[in-house]
Amino acid sequence: MIIPVACDDKRTGRRTAHEHYERRLWFRRYAFLGAMLVVLVLYAIFLLPNTQKPSRTQWALITGFFLLVLAWVGSLTTDDEKPTWMGAVAAVAFLFVFGWLFYRYSGAQWSKLVFVFLNKGVMEGEWVPLLEGLWVTLEIAILSAILGVLTGLILAVLRSLNNWMLNLIIIAYVDVIRATPLIVLVVVVYYALPYVGILLSAVLSGILALTLNCSAYASEIFRSGIESIHAGQVEASRSLGLSSMKTMRLVILPQAFRVVVPPLTSTLTGLLKDTAVCSVASIVELLRAALQIQAWKANPTPLIAATVIYLLILIPLTRLSNRLEVRMKTRLGSAR
Amino acid sequence: MGEEQGQVMVEAVEIHKYFKDLHVLRGISTRIMRGQVVAIIGPSGSGKSTFLRCLNRLEEPSSGEVIVDGIEVTHPRVDLNKVRAEIGMVFQSFNLFPHLTAIENIKLAPIHVRGASDKEATERGMVLLKKVGLVDKANAFPDQLSGGQQQRVAIARALAMQPKVMFFDEPTSALDPEMIGEVLDVMKSMAREGMTMLVVSHEMGFIREVADHILIMDGGIIIEEGAPVQVFEHPTQLRTQNFLSKVL
Repeated sequence: MIIPVACDDKRTGRRTAHEHYERRLWFRRYAFLGAMLVVLVLYAIFLLPNTQKPSRTQWALITGFFLLVLAWVGSLTTDDEKPTWMGAVAAVAFLFVFGWLFYRYSGAQWSKLVFVFLNKGVMEGEWVPLLEGLWVTLEIAILSAILGVLTGLILAVLRSLNNWMLNLIIIAYVDVIRATPLIVLVVVVYYALPYVGILLSAVLSGILALTLNCSAYASEIFRSGIESIHAGQVEASRSLGLSSMKTMRLVILPQAFRVVVPPLTSTLTGLLKDTAVCSVASIVELLRAALQIQAWKANPTPLIAATVIYLLILIPLTRLSNRLEVRMKTRLGSAR
Repeated sequence: MGEEQGQVMVEAVEIHKYFKDLHVLRGISTRIMRGQVVAIIGPSGSGKSTFLRCLNRLEEPSSGEVIVDGIEVTHPRVDLNKVRAEIGMVFQSFNLFPHLTAIENIKLAPIHVRGASDKEATERGMVLLKKVGLVDKANAFPDQLSGGQQQRVAIARALAMQPKVMFFDEPTSALDPEMIGEVLDVMKSMAREGMTMLVVSHEMGFIREVADHILIMDGGIIIEEGAPVQVFEHPTQLRTQNFLSKVL
């Protein structure tokens, strides 16, 4: 039913939109629809069979109920005349009902799952070692990130000098590092270097390996960012008398910055995850700390806890880097 | 106008340029005197822009010499940055720095090349912006300016270094017709003030009015040169006549 958008016009006696609404068929009023949704949800919670193994007839009842909810929610969300918030509420209600049905009738032994994976007792007193491991993870990640990005930037600027010998060395370095699996790199740095007299602590060798890895990827990101800047910018800058280095510092890099932020932040997020690889070098970062607790408590709950901690850090980080990317795009574009 | 060495601002001697096997410049030799406005015209692909860019070594000449104000630009050990600071260049695509405002674009080089203080450079920059008629746009970013405004800022930026000679590489070719006039007006006032200018352009009206000397290039050589009246009205070469008949 199309409701014309009319202005309030009591003088001429024409009906306002509100009066049209009042005269709508009673079973199409929003209040009624919302109330029905609530009734369905309450029925799901309190009146469906409360058993993990329903009988045939009970299954029929459950399936029928589910289809009813599906149809009802479907009509609410797909009707264009209804406000969007109604569709959103309906979708949330549907997810709730679905989750509830799954929880009740999927046959999963929830209490057993909780005992194995979400065991509070196991974690008692073990939070401190876990958080100490997290601290090591963050230390390694931040140091490697800073050193790796700086090294990558230097390598990219050196590449821009177009010296064929220098380029060859840098390209070889980048290719070798990028082709080596990180775990191999960590193992080589930690286990092999001592044989040539380079003795580094476990944490330092972890940082070294991650820095080498990050620098190779970062240098490629910076290089492509620098090359993406229009050649006319360099020409204009050089013809003003600015030297190569000043051009790079004042003209190219500030513009390249906007281009490199998205791939760089995703590389750094990957770096944080890669710290877990350092666990093979007996560095007690978050993963290894969790494994240690798991070993002596014989319960995988610490691993779940470690996973959750990773998520708590990485999901906001990813969201943040997405927001950064959008902000970079809405600012000045690249040179004309 | 005397031909003594002191009066020669730019001298090109037998400039050759190869792009791989393509012989783009086939021996260009010319002199531009102090205070002269020289226009280079010719069909596309004749090497006009390449020649201009060879003069400040944005393109490296394959052979030949370039001497600007007594300094041999093509010398292997010349301080190229210092030489380029004396040559102002204006590009077809403006090439303003998009991450800087107009006034920041203008004061960048004086501060970092000539060591001017920020205050000095800003003051002089504002004077130049006034000269090109864009004082109110000092804090605008290039993407907030029209093409004609951008080009005028680019001219001010080049002038900020107080160059001895200005090169213009088709400065109005990328502009909408209604904006060409404002840029040409700025160039005319520069010419009136005695700036030595070398202009590659297709704006025949401007050239006829302002240029002291015209070089006509085709196929990598200068096929004809002379004062505008002479070249436009009494061209001696057939190729010149062909070209002019198409553009005039």
